[in-house]
Amino acid sequence: MTDEVEVTVTVNGRTRQSRVEPRRLLVDYLRHDLGLTGAHIGCEQGVCGACTVLLDGRTARSCLHFAVTVDGSDIRTVEDLADLDELHPIQEMFHQKHALQCGFCTPGFLLTAVELLERTADPDEATIREALMNNVCRCTGYANIVDAVAEAAVELRRGHGA
Amino acid sequence: MKPAPFSFVAPESLGEVVRTLAEHGDDAQILAGGQSLVPLMNLRLARPEVVVSINRCHELDYIRLADDRLVIGALVRQIDAETSPLVQAECPLLAKALPHVGLPATRNRGTVCGSLAHCDPLAELPAVALALEAEVVLTNVAGERRVPAHDFFVAEMTTCIEPGEVVSAVTFARQDPGERSAVGEVSNGGHVFPVGGVALRWASSDGICTMARIAAFGVGSVAQRLGDAERALVGSDVGPAAIAAAVAAARSEVDPTGDIHADADYRRHLVGVLLERGLLEGSVHD
Amino acid sequence: MSSDTQGAVGQSVLRREDDYLLRGQGRFVDDLPTPLNTLHLAFVLSPYAHARITSIDTSAALALDGVVDVLTGADLAAMVKPIAAQIELPGYSFNTRDVLAVDEVRFAGEAVAVVVAESQYLAEDGIELVEVDYEPLPAVTDIHEATDPAAPQVNPTVPGNVYFEGRFATEGVAAGFDTAAHVISEDFNSNRVTAVPIEPRGCLAVPEQPANLVFYSSTQIHHLLRTALAEFLDVAESNLRVVVPDVGGGFGIKAALYPEEFVCAALALRLRRPVKWIQDRYGALLTDVHARDNHYRVEAAIDDDGIVLALRAEIRTNGGAYSALPFGCTLETTGGARMIVGPYRITEYEYTATAVATHTAPVLAYRGVAQPVCFMAIEGIMDRIARRLGLDPAEVRLRNMVPTAELPWTNIVGVRYDTGSFVESLEMAMEMANYDEFRASQAQGRLVDGKYRGIGICSFTEVSGTGAPGWRARGLTRLPGFDSGTVKVEPTGKVTAFVSHAHSGQGHFTTFAQVVADALGARLEDVTVVEGDTAAGPYGTNTFASRSAVTGGGALIRASEKARLKLARIAAFMLESTPEDIVVSDGRMHVAGVPSRALSFQEVAETAYAMNTSDLPEGESFGIEETDFYDPPLVTMANATHIAQVAVDAADGTVDIEGYVVVHDCGRVINPMIVDGQVMGGVAQGIGEALMEEFVYDPDGGVRTATLMDYLLPSSVDVPNYQIAHIESPSIDTVGGFKGVGEGGLIGAVAALVNAVADALSDLDVNVNTKPLRPALLSRLIREAGG
Repeated sequence: MTDEVEVTVTVNGRTRQSRVEPRRLLVDYLRHDLGLTGAHIGCEQGVCGACTVLLDGRTARSCLHFAVTVDGSDIRTVEDLADLDELHPIQEMFHQKHALQCGFCTPGFLLTAVELLERTADPDEATIREALMNNVCRCTGYANIVDAVAEAAVELRRGHGA
Repeated sequence: MKPAPFSFVAPESLGEVVRTLAEHGDDAQILAGGQSLVPLMNLRLARPEVVVSINRCHELDYIRLADDRLVIGALVRQIDAETSPLVQAECPLLAKALPHVGLPATRNRGTVCGSLAHCDPLAELPAVALALEAEVVLTNVAGERRVPAHDFFVAEMTTCIEPGEVVSAVTFARQDPGERSAVGEVSNGGHVFPVGGVALRWASSDGICTMARIAAFGVGSVAQRLGDAERALVGSDVGPAAIAAAVAAARSEVDPTGDIHADADYRRHLVGVLLERGLLEGSVHD
Repeated sequence: MSSDTQGAVGQSVLRREDDYLLRGQGRFVDDLPTPLNTLHLAFVLSPYAHARITSIDTSAALALDGVVDVLTGADLAAMVKPIAAQIELPGYSFNTRDVLAVDEVRFAGEAVAVVVAESQYLAEDGIELVEVDYEPLPAVTDIHEATDPAAPQVNPTVPGNVYFEGRFATEGVAAGFDTAAHVISEDFNSNRVTAVPIEPRGCLAVPEQPANLVFYSSTQIHHLLRTALAEFLDVAESNLRVVVPDVGGGFGIKAALYPEEFVCAALALRLRRPVKWIQDRYGALLTDVHARDNHYRVEAAIDDDGIVLALRAEIRTNGGAYSALPFGCTLETTGGARMIVGPYRITEYEYTATAVATHTAPVLAYRGVAQPVCFMAIEGIMDRIARRLGLDPAEVRLRNMVPTAELPWTNIVGVRYDTGSFVESLEMAMEMANYDEFRASQAQGRLVDGKYRGIGICSFTEVSGTGAPGWRARGLTRLPGFDSGTVKVEPTGKVTAFVSHAHSGQGHFTTFAQVVADALGARLEDVTVVEGDTAAGPYGTNTFASRSAVTGGGALIRASEKARLKLARIAAFMLESTPEDIVVSDGRMHVAGVPSRALSFQEVAETAYAMNTSDLPEGESFGIEETDFYDPPLVTMANATHIAQVAVDAADGTVDIEGYVVVHDCGRVINPMIVDGQVMGGVAQGIGEALMEEFVYDPDGGVRTATLMDYLLPSSVDVPNYQIAHIESPSIDTVGGFKGVGEGGLIGAVAALVNAVADALSDLDVNVNTKPLRPALLSRLIREAGG
């Protein structure tokens, strides 16, 4: 029964059907089977958040899921945020505010910010910092990430006519 | 750090789940949110032969009132319980505790029942279950049994779940209007496990405490109800002397162990600090 | 000839690196496309700190479908020479390491076998099937116990477990102590930590015809790595190309040469297939180099005014089980001994500095190296002087500092401070932190609303941009010091700048372009930076110890100036002027005073590349491609002051950081935004180190912190908002005036926080001389003091 199992998922709007070994971690499936290397592996212990994706609209550790357990789910990765010409407003603010250095943890932070700002249009600093506990950054000292998310919230509210 | 091979089944009903468990016995492991199990599997500290995912058992995804208790099914994610108006109305202590559990991303996937079944000595929910006099519903092919929380948690990472059984739901006592409750904990860093914590609720009538339920975590191999502290409060005015008595009782009835994160004396001290803080700051349920 | 200073340097230019990284298109080593026939490695790690390997049975692993090979220490010994750091210090005990342990393991996590398989999953299945029989032996992990005559020996060539003992004394130390009004002494304990870049290490070795190996590694030191691979694998350097992809943080621990890199390269050459190894977090915590397991005993002889008359330091550092390449186990030892005098006028000084061998992971560079600890010590002494004499801690520092008017100053160990702002940075930081008001508010008592409030200062010098003489002074005779730059004006007039550095998040593609644009007179957007590839540009010492701005910036300025001269010569010839009259600016050249007599870079470059009908001046060579090298002086000294304000909860011992101020002086600032980023990131790591991080071994050497649930990192809620300001005292000793900035954030934070907590608890008369300052420890101190 360790044979490969069929999995159907929607990834960044596209339906993907694959046969995978049950033990294959979602992060390896995304990175090495689909070539979506934006989600990174930092610990495989659920702590660092570098592998964060949106699973049915909510942040999830792709290192703590098997591809087979998310059969039927909708997955969104960092590769889906920008279009060819423009960055997503959150990405743009990370750029403007120097909210990334090595960039390894950044995709996870971006998806955490997407989830936060979809739930809370106008978060205060404490709320932002609480949400960002999802992810560990070893380069930036967090302050610029907090700023970027706060500014992105302003941009997004403006964009939605609020 | 990749898991060992296993075979995988994802039944679509509770009946199918328990039949699968009956077939595989000890070799089978239930997978719900997986937020505690998969790290252990990645480290190969857990290596089940058969993983039985309950993620397709939508019948287990419910929060409802039944028999004057709040019932939470096995597939309810922690985030859904946290944001549930029913949970907030009936069991505010649980709603207060859930934001402390794990991290946003793990609460999005981890389940309430899964945290109880995992029985981590540093987890908040077992203590909440003790304070809310929870009953864990264990189901197997023969039927179900209801185990009070204080019998369910046996030791570190050990519960009374028998081979063939699955936690299908947990029920909590409803909190009365006017009850106060609080959850407090201390950790060595914002996003990591606490070193210790307390969950409590109490009620007063005419200034006299009529009921107190206090439980601590991080003070031993398993969450612990603090009966002596409760008795020090009930019948008191919950004034400074009574609080001091409860704090002293709490500190003497726990027997924590030290580890790399905190020594035993600190954990004993901390139980008192958090109990006092909870009693002074606990909010009213209206 | 001149170039306008249109000034890309000094601007907060947004980073070029961001766009692709934000899109998830970074190419870290595990993101690189791999050939389909790539093999994967997993290492069998010893659970014992010290054991004899009695047998290794690989048969079950070899029988597993998908496992291609399993090799042990003896197998690898035939392919890779024992690796060794070369340190030329009197009394240094030379020692070597087999890339896989042969016969004996000396720390928990040391690799004893490697499995080669068709996938990473299968490789990990394989390591579970390798049966190793160990005979456990007594281990020693503690730096004091290690030198007990009865302690187990770590390494046969390191007698008494002492790698090295260095001594230094000026003549008047004894007299200073004899005449002192007071002697302040203290022991400072620093716990073991490690850097934990979020990207673990990894490498990919791809054989290419003819007999070449392309080696991708998550490293900070590609040239040094290539040389070491050549040396220890006995392969010609010409057949090796080391490429650094995006690197997900390094912080010094990726400036080490690791056994896995040699194994991966050797197996790719042997098996003639691509071989990939990606480290997991468990392996990272156990086998990345560690740092800071140090003990300092410091004595200061002072007069009644708090002036330090003489200083003694006894320093003991844990080097771990092997002297790791390339800097060796004496890095922290010589570093702390030489840096502790800091910004102070210390004229009589004596030290004993000992590097000790233990059954623990090798210790090498982590951001700050010895400085977080030696400044925790000297800044702790400054506070103790203040408490003893009833002076303000800031006042004690001001009385002892070398004033700016006395710079350049050569300190007691011979290091020259060319420029700086010790006094000014402290005064500015005090102003920003409302220091005097805070002190006034403390007069009513430090315990308010259940919290003890305190303030802590760290004023420090920050070693950066070390040149060859600086390494020689520390016995590192095989470590170069120079870096190189090549500036090439392409036929279209665009500029490619090659530099011998490799980034791990510092923003080199942006900052080096700023430097080249100014030095060459090019438009910023026309300059592209290439680095991290031994095939692109000449040799250099690479990226660690806050070097890149100083050494890479200096080399690029020199190469740019040569290229600019050539542009001017050709332009002058084409414009019938003289090179001295050509102004190069904004990607154009014109005759001084006659802006209309102008040529674009492209027009001049077409001449240089013979792509038009113009002739080159007589004797001028084709192309515009200029290289230069730059070796900075002994060291380049930056400085800073940090002030931390904390509240310690009297009941539960938790620490809140209520204010954090940094005034930093790294000379001429290339990009303020990036400099601030370096400072903030360093401070966060310093907060981690001061308050929560601790790598723990059992007394028998077993590892207690093998996951990120046990080795704790600071998160977004553990760090404050930072107030940062700069003073610019351009270096007069370096090309470009730059000083390094990579490490100061961490260096200052540790001492500032420890001092702030000590200050908060000072009414209780408790001694805060250790770290990390976790709630359990602080609560115990408070309870024991009856607080």
